[in-house]
Amino acid sequence: MRLIVHNMLQCHVKGCDSNNFPLQLSDVELEIHEIEYNHEFLQSLLTKLDWKAFVATAEQIGITSLPQTFPEEIDEDFLKKLHRILFETHIVEGKMICSNCSHEYPIRDGIPNMLLNEEELE
Amino acid sequence: MSITPLKAFTEHDNASLTDDKKEQKYVHDVYQAIAPHFSQTRYKPWPVIEQFLKSLDIGSIGADIGCGNGKYLGVNKNVYMVGSDRSSKLIEISVSRGHEGIICDALNLPYRSECFDFVISIAVIHHFTTFERRLAAIKELFRIARPRSYVLIYVWALEQSNEARRKFDKEQQDVFVPWVIPADKNNQDRKEIIYNRYYHLFRKGELDELIESTGVAQIVKTDYDKDNC
Repeated sequence: MRLIVHNMLQCHVKGCDSNNFPLQLSDVELEIHEIEYNHEFLQSLLTKLDWKAFVATAEQIGITSLPQTFPEEIDEDFLKKLHRILFETHIVEGKMICSNCSHEYPIRDGIPNMLLNEEELE
Repeated sequence: MSITPLKAFTEHDNASLTDDKKEQKYVHDVYQAIAPHFSQTRYKPWPVIEQFLKSLDIGSIGADIGCGNGKYLGVNKNVYMVGSDRSSKLIEISVSRGHEGIICDALNLPYRSECFDFVISIAVIHHFTTFERRLAAIKELFRIARPRSYVLIYVWALEQSNEARRKFDKEQQDVFVPWVIPADKNNQDRKEIIYNRYYHLFRKGELDELIESTGVAQIVKTDYDKDNC
């Protein structure tokens, strides 16, 4: 799972509807897989991100160099750094924990399991 | 080969299983069991869906709900897609091909509201056993899509063309469609295995009614293709 996907995920336990995003990463193992850089694709995609959540999540995996607010001017170096973090960094093991209800979602072999037990469903 | 679907469900099922347990037995458990064989037969993208995916703006982000082996996830390299499926076995196949995949239930998606530029759900909604569950699943697709974005939904049709491989009894919308895993030629002991998958076959106009009853979406294009994929 890449951080771009994590940025779309929220806790969906029944009744857990505030402070349920972003999920906190814990005990993660990372892998880097290089892929082709695409300037136009990345620039367009960045506008879809919840930046604040992305920066907070990056910090949880040891990336502390991102600005708290999205910079007004972005250069190629910055975009390449984001490409690395968003598209080449994979979370292969670990868990995601909801800040509100503490539910844990496991990540195994790069796949988050978001299924809930019956009592957690709506 | 001609395949005659049976009426779903058995009397025993109706007496003993709730709607979600019927789906567990005749949809989820079946896909888990047939995943590798199913995946081998699902490699060609449907042209109309391929066309849609290729028409999207560069840098769009989308979700494929019920992505199976992920055959649509790599169609357009200029958009970013995340696939999800209830079957962990199918997601494992999809992820092993380099796609992004998560395991989740379509009735309760773990995504933020309005976070996707487009959403597709191909041959999924027909696996829900009641009107209410089909409606709830469609509402979830709309919830995660941005306002004024496209949501592409395909389901199996009841009425079939004369050339179609499968023929359905027009009176019977809730059926078991058998999935046959042939006997292994290398292993004399292994016999053919037949799994019954549950389908709700849609009458003409039924999907439109379902979409309209959500009250949140406008139908821009509808089609009744008579050959199920």
